[in-house]
Amino acid sequence: MALRWRIAALVAAAACAVAAAVGVLVHRASQERELSQARDAARTTLERAAVVYARTGGVEGSGAALDAPGLPGGLRSLVRKGHQGTEFTTGPGGPAMWAARPADDQVLSVRVDLDTSMRDISALDTNIVLAGLIAAAVVLPLGVVTAGRMSRRLRAAAATARRIAAGDLDARISAGARPHDEIAEISGAVDSMAAALQERLLREQRFTADVAHELRTPLMGLVTAAELLPPGEAAGYVRDRVRVLSTLVEDLLEISRLDAGAERADLSPCPLGLLLTDAVARTALDVRLGTAQGTEEGAGDGPTVWTDPRRMERIVANLVLNAHRHGRAPVEVTVDPGGRTVTVRDHGPGYPDDLLRDGPQRFRTGARERGRGHGLGLTIALGQAEVIGAELTFRNAPGGGAVATLRLPAGPEAAPIHAPIHD
Amino acid sequence: MTPAFPPPAAAEPGPVAPGPATEAHLLLVEDDEVIRNTVRMLLERYGFTVSTAGDGLTGLELFRERRPDLLLLDVMLPELDGIGLCRRVRELSLAPILMMSARGDALDVVSGLEAGADDYVVKPCESAVLVARIRSLLRRASFAPVQRGAPGGAECETAEEDEPATLAFGDLTIDPRGMEVRRAGRLLALTPTELRMLLEFAASPGVVLERRTLLSRVWDHAWHGDTRVVDLHVQRLRAKIGAERIETVRGFGYKLRR
Repeated sequence: MALRWRIAALVAAAACAVAAAVGVLVHRASQERELSQARDAARTTLERAAVVYARTGGVEGSGAALDAPGLPGGLRSLVRKGHQGTEFTTGPGGPAMWAARPADDQVLSVRVDLDTSMRDISALDTNIVLAGLIAAAVVLPLGVVTAGRMSRRLRAAAATARRIAAGDLDARISAGARPHDEIAEISGAVDSMAAALQERLLREQRFTADVAHELRTPLMGLVTAAELLPPGEAAGYVRDRVRVLSTLVEDLLEISRLDAGAERADLSPCPLGLLLTDAVARTALDVRLGTAQGTEEGAGDGPTVWTDPRRMERIVANLVLNAHRHGRAPVEVTVDPGGRTVTVRDHGPGYPDDLLRDGPQRFRTGARERGRGHGLGLTIALGQAEVIGAELTFRNAPGGGAVATLRLPAGPEAAPIHAPIHD
Repeated sequence: MTPAFPPPAAAEPGPVAPGPATEAHLLLVEDDEVIRNTVRMLLERYGFTVSTAGDGLTGLELFRERRPDLLLLDVMLPELDGIGLCRRVRELSLAPILMMSARGDALDVVSGLEAGADDYVVKPCESAVLVARIRSLLRRASFAPVQRGAPGGAECETAEEDEPATLAFGDLTIDPRGMEVRRAGRLLALTPTELRMLLEFAASPGVVLERRTLLSRVWDHAWHGDTRVVDLHVQRLRAKIGAERIETVRGFGYKLRR
């Protein structure tokens, strides 16, 4: 149950409980007062009647009666033993107070009618219940409003925390002056946590950028200097190694950018078939590209997906490259009919068990002795898939061969897709 | 790309470079000595004339003095950094500017493009990439009017004769032949890239141009380019021709309001 309704229910219950307690106490107190007044009045009348009886032997005009028919049995037997007393009855004649004493061998008694007083008390009870209901009616909306404000603030705090968790580090709760209470405290704490996170992230991103600068600057000199070398075997080696080094540095920088959370997807509608054809062509490797229905040359434009084409291309290229390095031809890239799932499959020995268990590990290649690749490609593919909101999973096909499955997220909204313009 | 060795540049530098096969005069501003020298040597092999400077202020001085056809500069420079230099150069020239960034992060790239750069490359880049970008920029500067129709870029110069002399969009008038753009009668100073992009928009007013389409038509980048380049140029173009003129179609691209 929402906090506001819980608090409102509590307030209502408290108001009702107070009204009930007050009602009971007031009811008892007034009843007791009425009864003791009636008792005193009955006794006084009885004493006066006793004096009259002693003098005249009768009770006429004194308000008392001899051997009254309605006298309660308890009182009668008390009087028979020679005592005097009073008793409150609620018989068929209405509520009444009796006082009785012995008079020779008869019972002298007085009956004071309490019908009016008791009716007054029950009117008072009704009024108290009414007052309680009115108080609850006034307090309940106030409680709802107050609790509503509190729960709104708490909800705002929770929503902001979720936005921060989703990566929006600029999200803050505080807006204007708020009453200084526990909610303000938790809002402040969330805000300062977000600020600390943001600062740390910025520092990490700045560090990554600085590292990039320090590594790329000498590398740029190396790349251009290597290109200037006169052609020859040695120059070929140098160029080859420089290329390997450049790739390694770029891969490492990419991983550290992914780790630092510095990567943001640049989503746009892309024809998936065209994108895959392009990505595969860029790898310059032998790949069979097709739809799930049947392998054909090229997958056409295919369905349009919302994605970041550069990252998508990077993922596919890395998967294809990995399949060629560690698997065996033919390498197949397939799009399922729904157009959201892309699979890259080879016909080699499949992924090693520890990869299937723990996911790709940096610098751990499928077979160290083959010594090709740095073992960063799949890590990057996984990281980039996360950036574009896709899910990348690895498994082995029953008939042998590694299968990487990339599931693309659904589009951002059901916006009408304008006819894409091709050139 | 035959690196023919053309005669040295004429003393009087013209704002428009000759055809792509002929040499152009480049100014390279780079603080790292090795990069400065090796890139200069490489570009000279491709037939460009290259002046070099090791810091921003010297670069600005050389730019004023020699009026190169294209400025190639590093972002991080002593004295006056690449961003500042870019801004200063833009105040006095519309020459194409290519930034080289070693950081490659948003801060570098975005502020460089905001300051007026036409394109950027991330170091280290091979000379083939660098030269392709330089040639693309020079082509834009030495302008060929936008090819209409015939996607795939078939050369069709005759098609232009049917066109009206000037195109008008609100208070904006574009003269595609004279390469002049006026807003409320006032002549606008557009960089070759901005002009080229505006002509792309003007060629199909009211039609959404995807960012990638613009990237491939204006920058010759195809899939691999960074679409932030397009976004920032649209921003710059809007600042000059009026923000309401180009409409953003979220997630897809931009269109020119008729």
